[in-house]
Amino acid sequence: MPSTAASRILEHYRPPFDATAVKKIKEMGGIVVGKTNMDEFGMGSTTEASAFQVTANPWDLTRVPGGSSGGSAAAVAARQCMVSLGSDTGGSVRQPASFCGVVGLKPTYGRVSRFGLMAYASSLDVIGCFGSTVADAGMLLHAVSGYDRFDSTSSKQDVPEFDTQFLSMDSFESKPLKGVRVGLIRETLEEGVDSGVRSATQEAASHLEALGCVVTEVSLPSFSLGLPAYYVIASSESSSNLSRYDGVRYGNQVMADELNKLYECSRGQGFGGEVKMRILMGTYALSAGYYDAYYKRAQQVRTLIRKDFKAALDHNDILISPAAPSAAYKIGEKKDDPLAMYAGDIMTVNVNLAGLPAIVLPCGLVEGGPSGLPVGLQMIGAAFDEEKLLKVGHIFEQTLKGSGFVPPTLPNVA
Amino acid sequence: MTTRALLAAISGCPRRNIINSSTFSPSLHFQRQESRIIARSFSSDTNSSLPDISRLAETARISLTPAEIEECEPKIRQVIDWFGQLQQVDVNSVEPAIRAEMEGGSLREDAPQTFENRDNIRASIPSFDETYLKVPKVLNKE
Repeated sequence: MPSTAASRILEHYRPPFDATAVKKIKEMGGIVVGKTNMDEFGMGSTTEASAFQVTANPWDLTRVPGGSSGGSAAAVAARQCMVSLGSDTGGSVRQPASFCGVVGLKPTYGRVSRFGLMAYASSLDVIGCFGSTVADAGMLLHAVSGYDRFDSTSSKQDVPEFDTQFLSMDSFESKPLKGVRVGLIRETLEEGVDSGVRSATQEAASHLEALGCVVTEVSLPSFSLGLPAYYVIASSESSSNLSRYDGVRYGNQVMADELNKLYECSRGQGFGGEVKMRILMGTYALSAGYYDAYYKRAQQVRTLIRKDFKAALDHNDILISPAAPSAAYKIGEKKDDPLAMYAGDIMTVNVNLAGLPAIVLPCGLVEGGPSGLPVGLQMIGAAFDEEKLLKVGHIFEQTLKGSGFVPPTLPNVA
Repeated sequence: MTTRALLAAISGCPRRNIINSSTFSPSLHFQRQESRIIARSFSSDTNSSLPDISRLAETARISLTPAEIEECEPKIRQVIDWFGQLQQVDVNSVEPAIRAEMEGGSLREDAPQTFENRDNIRASIPSFDETYLKVPKVLNKE
């Protein structure tokens, strides 16, 4: 099957092997319906950076589905498939899940093998799952999880039976989440977050309380540092990972009379603007004289962020926050302003820096589009505690009033 | 229809300020960190000679047209300037984290195995001349 990472440099590329995650799905009888659109090499938050086409949000065709795994989120939202895979390096599964009103699940780093995932930032990348319900996303996660000898960062931790714990609503007690300690991250409800998103998140917190949770406010002092630290690390690692696309062994080659020119032209013509920008920024951050000031420093900030999360999760079962500061915005709105686009990742990047699992599920609607726009609640768990996230997420979802988040573009789909 | 009902229900709810909420107690849990996050100023006072885009492009082996350089230069400078805020963080005696805390990398035996789909790999090579990948000559610079 063609695999392009939405890039011209891999326009006609057909990989000679399946990723471990895909292999597992096929072995279990899963039917791979096709490939979806994304931001080129995972770099973007709207799917507008695809070299091939822009994907529309099924809730409002003039708006973005989010990114980078926007195509996978939109496909599930539009019920073109039951579940889909995406990759999450800084929120690329969770943010589109929020924008498209579906469930997006980011596992712990190491839970799912990265063998066959085209690397963007190796210390941050994970493969994530989309579904229209928590149960579906959980079942997919179970199918793709597990140790893989071909990925040296793959974890040997046991994979619990994620797929069998989704009880039906009839068997819920009156307070099915009694005693679950939930920490609402204070820094995620400050200025810069849409009032509609704030309301939806606070209502989600109230809903959790009604289910028996103990909800308190927590603070992560290093929170705002995550965004620049993430972009330093991600662009640095990507500048290294994307050096393999040189037009020699695979992909589109631009012939030249000298080797360096072949590299330069193949890459210059094959990569899109955002990819080139990030490679250049990464090259800068890693270059002699700047490595300590940027890359090493960002790694130190990563340690601070990990410590803050660990402290908060020592006193709470899960942490919650919005998945994004706003609902889906219009196509073209942030295309020329990189910092404005990066700012939208504020809720999600810290989780990748800490390597923790998180799930996003639709919790409400805000104004916009023909029938409102979905807003997702993010739940963050301790490392390898996907089971708890799925349990809480499932109960939250099943007890939320309204029969589900279905985009208006679809005819009567229950 | 149900989505409209949901929207109506949400917009009908009073806006609640998190501090004033009466239904959950905002007790704060946070650890005093050794690092202090000082004023969030964006400019870095390190040896910040603004990035030379042409030189970076050469290092990264990416050719850029003059128009492309003109377009991306201000954006790159803006982002790198924004990175500068990390300079304000006190990271004294903080260990850099290569990745999230995980068990040590597990390595498999260094025993070569023949890949079963070599033909497919060969088919992907743009310039192939039986057993050799063809590339143009390498010219020595300067």
